[in-house]
Formats: sequence, structure tokens, C-alpha cells
Amino acid sequence: MKIPVFRTALVATASFLPISLLLLIIFLAVYSWPAIQYNQFHFLWTNDWNLGNLYGNPVSVNGHQIMPGAKYGIWFLVVGTIASSVLAMLIAMPIAIGAAYFLSEGIRKTWSGPLSLFVDLLAAIPSVVYGLWGYALLVPLFGHTIFPFLAKTFSFIPFLNGEAGSGYGLLTSAFVLAVMIIPLISATLRESIQMTEPALKEAGLSLGLNRLEVFWHIVLPKLRTVLIGVGILALGRALGETMAVLMVSGNALNYLPNNIYAPISTMAAFIASQLDSALQDPTNMAVEALSEIALVLLLITVVVNIAARMMLWMAKVR
Amino acid sequence: MLYRLKKELSRSVKGAVMVSALGLAGIYAMPASAATISLLETGSTLLYPLFNLWVPVYTKMNPGVQITTQGTGSGTGIAEAISGVAQIGASDAYMSDAQIKMHQNILNIPLAISIQMINYNLPGLNNKHLKLSGPVLAGIYSGKITNWDDAAIAKLNPGVKLPNHKIVPIHRTDGSGDTFIFTTYLSDTTPAWSKSVGYSTTVSWPAVPGGIGAEGNPGMVQALKTTPYGVAYIGISWKKPVEEAKLGLAMLENRAGNFVLPTVENAKAAAGEMVSKTPADERISLVFAPGAKSYPIINYEYAIVSKTQAKPEVAAAMKKFLNWAIDPKGGNAPHFITAVNFVPLPDSAAELSRKQIAEIH
Repeated sequence: MKIPVFRTALVATASFLPISLLLLIIFLAVYSWPAIQYNQFHFLWTNDWNLGNLYGNPVSVNGHQIMPGAKYGIWFLVVGTIASSVLAMLIAMPIAIGAAYFLSEGIRKTWSGPLSLFVDLLAAIPSVVYGLWGYALLVPLFGHTIFPFLAKTFSFIPFLNGEAGSGYGLLTSAFVLAVMIIPLISATLRESIQMTEPALKEAGLSLGLNRLEVFWHIVLPKLRTVLIGVGILALGRALGETMAVLMVSGNALNYLPNNIYAPISTMAAFIASQLDSALQDPTNMAVEALSEIALVLLLITVVVNIAARMMLWMAKVR
Repeated sequence: MLYRLKKELSRSVKGAVMVSALGLAGIYAMPASAATISLLETGSTLLYPLFNLWVPVYTKMNPGVQITTQGTGSGTGIAEAISGVAQIGASDAYMSDAQIKMHQNILNIPLAISIQMINYNLPGLNNKHLKLSGPVLAGIYSGKITNWDDAAIAKLNPGVKLPNHKIVPIHRTDGSGDTFIFTTYLSDTTPAWSKSVGYSTTVSWPAVPGGIGAEGNPGMVQALKTTPYGVAYIGISWKKPVEEAKLGLAMLENRAGNFVLPTVENAKAAAGEMVSKTPADERISLVFAPGAKSYPIINYEYAIVSKTQAKPEVAAAMKKFLNWAIDPKGGNAPHFITAVNFVPLPDSAAELSRKQIAEIH
């Protein structure tokens, strides 16, 4: 019998990714199983994260060994993660689309080359660099100048009014995330804009449309599928961003932000900051609860991606 | 032509001689390098600066040992010392009874004594040493005392014009020995705190709107610097950046009811009271010591090590290094200890540490 070497190799390499995703989910589910059983569903809905008294003696609750007083509820993390990422997308999308259109259509080719390279370089900067920039420059600037101004100016809009805080918080995190994902979105969009058929644009211009109208009525509708795809990629990056958020979010514990300037915490950042303490829990429940957070985060990204696929599919069908 | 060839030849011969000489040197060096023992130290970021001062000096005196240092946090230090990844785990907090029960071959060996500062950022008042007490700090961190001109703070500071402004309590988000000793102080002084929050390397901080969580001691300094009306607890090895940022330093109420500053002298007074109470396994809190001058928040800085090492050479190297580290002429010499503002290990504590070190095999 002849073994189809090429075919087998292709199947093996192609199945590597889906299998590793599946294995990751299975591993997290199995590893955090005691925590899932102990926490049940109120894990998601309560604002009560407490590792318990790590210097006490383990107690048994419902057949689970835990430290006295240990409770795990992550609603504030779910809210913080989704709020910061969605806000980041709201800030990033218009800027990224504008930048992409400017680079591909707004300036001469001799300039667009080097400038595009610049934008691509921005996309490759490690996130901790953005975090440091946010931490050293944005936090003091926002906290002392911009947030008090915004809070005063928009004192009639809920979530934009109230206390301006210290600069660490939701809006700062969203802004840093936005700056991180703008180059990611705009680099992809730029190429798609350039690929739009020139004949269409010329037809629009010859009908008397100005450049903005050409962009709005002809180019942008063509970009819909690309926009959704790249938006989801960017959202995925924002949801999972750890280091930059950890440095500027203010790491709120067990409470929800009462406005856009208040401290928050995200799932990814929380896992990183809590692991060290969780390792001191002799019952290991704390680490298992952290991996339950990881599982939730993974499931959220999977759901977001599936939603994106469906939107793409609907966009194509129409 | 011939001349050039000759030149080339001589050059290559020279090269060959040099290469073989290097090779020979390498062979000569080989037995020595094979005998080099490498130790990995990981853990507390408060101890990290001290290890960084120790290691170059020690390895210069003992070329057979190579020591790698990492500042990863006390929890990681303990976990990796238990798992055997690291030979020395550095921790500001001692291990809990439950952890010791599970890992009976692990030793907690104090190497030095550290101090904790309570700092604040009050525009106009940072050059004054405000007086604060455990119950007042517990009130601030649990959200019961929300303003700087609260009667409880004003009572401790007669004559000081306190601002009518919200307090921003800043705490550590990572697992931290600093959080451990700070919350121990709050628990020792305030029964309500002890009952509701307790003490640990991470606690479930009561939700104080606007309260900030910061990463590591450098994060605490930065957060306090940028947050007027904030208050924070910071390890003494970060005293210099705190002073450079012109932040306020609080006097704390001790068990005797006196308000004292975190000076080495006051810390030594507190250590003097507690050393005689230190048990053989040296796991004890030094917080809230008796004595008129005692500063209330100090702690032992621990090396977490396993009694049983895989190789006798490694055990011997560790014993030698740890004994050097606690020696007043070695690692506990003033020029090391004062560089990080620590307090040297008192003699009787050093004696207990030496006994523990002798158990490593």
C-alpha cells in the first residue's frame, strides 16, 4: 500500500490549529473543574473576589477544600473587559478608517509609501511599550488636565460626568487599547481601499460626487466585509491585552465603574496580577478559579469570533 | 606574489596558533567550569535589590558558584522553592501553617529585616509628618473615613489644616509581602478589620470608589506621585524615589501609643523586642511590637529553601552562601544593608537562621 505522504502531512498540519484550540479548552475546563463546581453560576454575576484567609487552615465547603472565607465572583472583570474593549473600538474605528483612506487616496504615492510603513511599524510595537507610555505620560496628563475638563464640559451626560478620578481607569485603558489597534485596522483597510476598482471610483466622480461622497457611497460599502473581519481581530487583541491595561486601568477590585474615568480591571490583567498570590493557596482553589477566568475569557473570544463569522456571512449574502 | 602568499600563510598560521591556544585554554578551563554550581534565586521584589548587591561580590570571592537572581514576587518565590525550580525563593512573608504542613522539608530563613513606610500626597503638607494610626488607616482602606479633614484624622493632628478632599487609598494588586505586613498591622490594631478583611499577601480590599490598585513597589510610588490626596504603603528600599517625588511620610502609632517614624533606629527597637519571641522555625510577624520607640511595621525577609537538595555539592554551596548572607561581615555588612535601608539581622535571630541553614543537606 502506498501512503499518501503529502496528503497526510497536509491533514496533520491543517488539523494542528483546531485541535490545539480544542485541547486548550478541554485542559482549562478540566483544570478549573473544582472551581467551576464550587463557584457555580454566580461566579459570573457577583462582585466578590476574595482568596480567603491564606494564613488560616483549609476548610471543607460542599466537599471542596478552600481557605476560610474564599469567594470568587468576577462580574466587575467581565464588565471591565467588555467596556474597555468596546470603548476602544469606538475610538479606534473612525480614526483608523480616516487614516487608511488618507494614506491610500488622500496623498501622493511618493508620500503614502513611507507613511504606510510608519503605520505598519506602529502595529508591531510590543504592548508593554504602549503600557509604559500610558503609565508615564497619559495617566498624569488625563488625570490632572483632560478628565477634569471633560467631566466639567459634559456634566449633563451620564457616565461622562461626576468625579474625574486620578487618570487610572476605563477611558485611559480604552485610549491605550485604541492606539494599539488603530494601526492594525488601518493597515488592512488601506490595502483593501487600494484594491477597490478604480473604474467604480471614476464613475462616481464623473457623476459629480465629491471625494467624501465617493468614499461614503462607493468605497465604504465595498469594505464592509473587511471592516468586520479586521474589527474582530482588533477586538480580540483588545479583549486579551494584559500588560498595557494592567499598567493604566487602576485595577479596581469588586466594584463597577460609576463613570468613564473610574478605575476598572480586566480578566487578562487580573489573571496576571493575582497569580502570585493564588500560588500561596495550599488548596489550589485560587489557581483553579483563575483558570476558570481564563476559560471564560477564551469562551468570550470564541463567541465574538463566531458572531463575526455570522456577520461576515450575512454581509456576503446580502 | 610569493611574498603575498607568505604573508597569507603566516597570518593563517598565527590565526591557527591563536585558535588552538584558545582551545587549549578552553580545555584547561573546562574542569573548573564543569564544577561550577549554579543556584537560582527568585521571588520578592523587595529583596531583589539586596540580592543584586550580594551576588556580584559573592561570586567574585567564590568563582565556583554562579547565582542567577530574579524579582518575580514572593508567591512565585515560595512556589518555585517548593517545586525545586529555584534553589532559593525570596519572600517578604513567611509560609502559612497549612503550607508548612504540606511541605515539611521547607525552611523559612530570615536574611534581614525590612521596614514599611506609609506615604501620602497632600499638596502643601508633604513636608510635614502627619500622624496616623492603625484604626485610621483601616477606616481609610475600608471606606469609612473618606475625607482628609475627618474628625478621626484631625484628632491625631491638632493644629494641622487638613484639606477637605476625598482620600484615594492605593493598594497593591500583585501578591505582595508589603500587603501582608500592612494588613497585619491593620488586623492587629483594628478588630473590625481583622474580622472582615484579615491579613494576607492579597486581601479582598473593601470597595472604595476611586481607590487604585498598583503593580509592585515602583507602581505604588508612581501612582501616589500622580494622585494628589492619595495614601499608600511602600517598602523601605524605595525610600529614595519617594523622597525624590517629595511625598509625605507618616508617623505611625505603635503599641505603646507613641507616634514614630520609620527610621532604622526605631525599627531596631522593634526588632529588639521581637527577636527573643522568634521561634525555632522563625515564622513570626514582627508587626506592632511593644516598646516606646518601636516602629510598628517591620518584617523578616525570608529565604525559602528546601532542606533536601538533589546533590550534596549544591547543598554545600547553598549553606555557604546563606551563611555568608547573614554574616555581619558578609552579606549583613552595613554597606550592603544600609544601601537598601534595611536593618541587619540581630545576633540571636542570625543564630536561629544558622541552625536552620545547618539542616540543609
